[in-house]
Amino acid sequence: MTTELMLETEGLCKYWGGLKALDDISLQFHDKQLHGIVGPNGAGKSTLLNLLCGHYKPTSGRILHKGEPIEAIKPHAFARRGIGRSFQKTNIYPGATCLENCCVAVQRRMGGNFNFLRSRYTQKVLDEIATEALEKVGLGARRDEIASHISYGEQRQLEIAMVLATAPQVLLLDEPMAGMGHEESLLIIELLKKLKREYCIVLVEHDMDAVFELSDQLTVMVDGQHLITGTVDEVRDDPRVKEAYLGQGDEVF
Amino acid sequence: MTTSLFFVQLINGLQYGLLLFLIASGLTLVFGVMGILNLAHGSMFMVGAYLAWYFFEHTGSFGISALISAAIALLIGIAIERGLIRHLYRRNHLDQVLLTIGMIFVFNALQSLLWGNDPLGVPVPQALSGAVPLNDVLEYPVYRIFVALLCIAIAFVMYYMINKTRLGMLIRAGESNREMVECLGIDIRRLYTIVFAIGVMLAAVAGVASAPMSSIMPGMGEHVLITCFVVVVIGGMGSIKGAFVAALLVGLVDTFSSVLVPQISSMMIYILMAFILLIKPQGLFSS
Amino acid sequence: MLFNKRTERIFIWVFFPLALLLPLFLEQNTFYVSKLTSIMIFALFVMSLDYLVGRCGLITLGHAMFYGLGGYLFWMLAPEYTEVNFWVYTFYVCMIAAAIALVIGFLVLRTSGIYMIMITLAFAQMAFYFFSDSIEFGGNDGLFIYMKPETSIFGLSLFDLDNPIHFYYLCLLSLFNTLVFFKLLIRSRFGRVVDAIHQNPGRTTALGYNIFMFRLMSYVIASALGAYAGYLFTLQYGFVNPSMLAWTTSGSALVMSILGGMGSIYGAILGTFVYEGLHYGLEHMTEHWMLFMGILIIAMVMVFKNGIAGYLEKLLEKRS
Repeated sequence: MTTELMLETEGLCKYWGGLKALDDISLQFHDKQLHGIVGPNGAGKSTLLNLLCGHYKPTSGRILHKGEPIEAIKPHAFARRGIGRSFQKTNIYPGATCLENCCVAVQRRMGGNFNFLRSRYTQKVLDEIATEALEKVGLGARRDEIASHISYGEQRQLEIAMVLATAPQVLLLDEPMAGMGHEESLLIIELLKKLKREYCIVLVEHDMDAVFELSDQLTVMVDGQHLITGTVDEVRDDPRVKEAYLGQGDEVF
Repeated sequence: MTTSLFFVQLINGLQYGLLLFLIASGLTLVFGVMGILNLAHGSMFMVGAYLAWYFFEHTGSFGISALISAAIALLIGIAIERGLIRHLYRRNHLDQVLLTIGMIFVFNALQSLLWGNDPLGVPVPQALSGAVPLNDVLEYPVYRIFVALLCIAIAFVMYYMINKTRLGMLIRAGESNREMVECLGIDIRRLYTIVFAIGVMLAAVAGVASAPMSSIMPGMGEHVLITCFVVVVIGGMGSIKGAFVAALLVGLVDTFSSVLVPQISSMMIYILMAFILLIKPQGLFSS
Repeated sequence: MLFNKRTERIFIWVFFPLALLLPLFLEQNTFYVSKLTSIMIFALFVMSLDYLVGRCGLITLGHAMFYGLGGYLFWMLAPEYTEVNFWVYTFYVCMIAAAIALVIGFLVLRTSGIYMIMITLAFAQMAFYFFSDSIEFGGNDGLFIYMKPETSIFGLSLFDLDNPIHFYYLCLLSLFNTLVFFKLLIRSRFGRVVDAIHQNPGRTTALGYNIFMFRLMSYVIASALGAYAGYLFTLQYGFVNPSMLAWTTSGSALVMSILGGMGSIYGAILGTFVYEGLHYGLEHMTEHWMLFMGILIIAMVMVFKNGIAGYLEKLLEKRS
């Protein structure tokens, strides 16, 4: 089944001076699917995500959101369009509670952001949506804890909760399970299984078990080039992929 | 403006610019290598001038006085770095601002206590007095030419030191990657002490050099500090090459504007800085 | 609760009643009343800077430009001898200052860190030299304003600005209102975004906020209030001069804000009074008060990492 085409890149290139980070990447991301992106270090996966969320501007090529070119719009406008991003390096508000973290995420949609006098605590529905997002990732119990006091794994969960709180259409997840133990990873995998039924998810991960289990489509990248895209089985059987990984010394398969 | 007037202003501007470079290079060196914004840098300029006066009064020789002053400035720099600046490395910019403002207060108070608030003067040394004729009408003071040449010489020494010596290599490495230099087993603390002391000494030497050219009085540190900041920012913080270019630019703009547009000449260097920052927000030669 | 820290509440319950009653004891000595008024006016200025630097993270060395503008704008707008209404002209001065801040903020807020410090300084210096070099604006000597506005609202006149005690109460009221305003601002939805931008600008942009707009708004508000302080200062003695715009004025305000405890807002009042109190006390003891002041500031940086407010809060706040 092919759902709606949410995000697409056409001939996307990113050069840093003479260094080629991404070369002619053309990919398609569909709704209600999880599209995994894997590759050895330096493949350009994070660069791709940075381009998809507007953090970097492409050297050439196009990015299309539901058919509209967006490569030139401002970074915050990407988020407004519903393209949400979680970061590889935990990027939360450490001094605030988990609830407050999510409230900031929710507030943007709710409007009234330039209201000087209305207290931030008066809108109950804001709190409710934020709490809902926390519960979805399993952090309901840690609602009133200061974000810097919760465990690393919980902080990664908070990252995802914040993105969910913005009611996105596309989720760009940059190694959400980085640094997590086995059990914590299982929780995230279950969560992503649920979420991929609702959202278009682009997942960059090194945890191969997770990627194989979750991906509806899988893309392999090497040295900034697009190697192959297909189902998990198609990719696993491809000899070029084996070479790319074994050549790097990674025992993956 | 006549050609001879233009020529004189050109030399004036360049000479002023070179002196500014001498002071600004210390500031930008310290910021580039250590990330410290030393607001008391102008005070060191003042300290140099006052020390020059004091030792001249006691030795009668400007040359000896200059050497002693430079040596004392070096020691002061080492002491300040070891005692105070060292504690700021992990703190934010605001703490640096506050601490160095506190230092300005202390220096100003010491200056007032030790040497009073009346303007002081140091005569131009005999050997360098007199003037060099430029054409049949104009002549230019020998001492000013000497100062300009001194600044150029110091610029060359700095260039050589930073690009050709081991210390210079460490300075360049420390600028881009502090942790890396530490990992190489080099005592970064000693490097910082040396860099800071050099920075302070440069300002003090500039103060000594300018002592015979203008009166020595309270507040001279703050005045030079602001101009110094403008130079460093235009040049790009941490870039000595940038400081050189920017200093000459500022020197020329300031000198020519005071002749051509005296009504707004005080503002000109700030207009210049704002203009450059709006086009190149990191300065001309930012790393 | 608007004042959610215990230390803050203690400070307010001590400071404001004391300030309210003090003139009654100082009735004979208007010198001290006027001195306290001056300190309160500057404390208002420092609060606006504290908000900008401490809560928004926008470090500026040019805030005093608006302080001076408050005075010069009033001189420009007001007729020479006809009495005008204080409240109306407050509105004019603040609105024009806000408009100027909008333009300058638009240019300045594209930079950050050390470059923002420098470009704000550049604009302030330009303004400083503009006023001190121009004859029309009195040059270095400044200008006198011979008229004191009247303060009637709907015909009811509350304060007689010629009376130092009345002026004192007007300034105290302004100080309190400004404190409350900033607390409301911080607690508001706008304030939530501003806090988020301060803590983590990258994350806030990623959530879809246009952080430039929020910073610009904060800059405009703080600048308008800084101008209001300058306007009050000018009205106190009927005098405005370029030193109000000097970078050293910005520097002093920064010192007082950091001393009090950056970002706490009430700390700005604390810092200003402590600094001015020490200045006054030391000045009378020794000609070289600057030495002790300098040493004190250095000691403060080394010891009190979060200013006086920070230290008090460590002592008085309940552990969560």
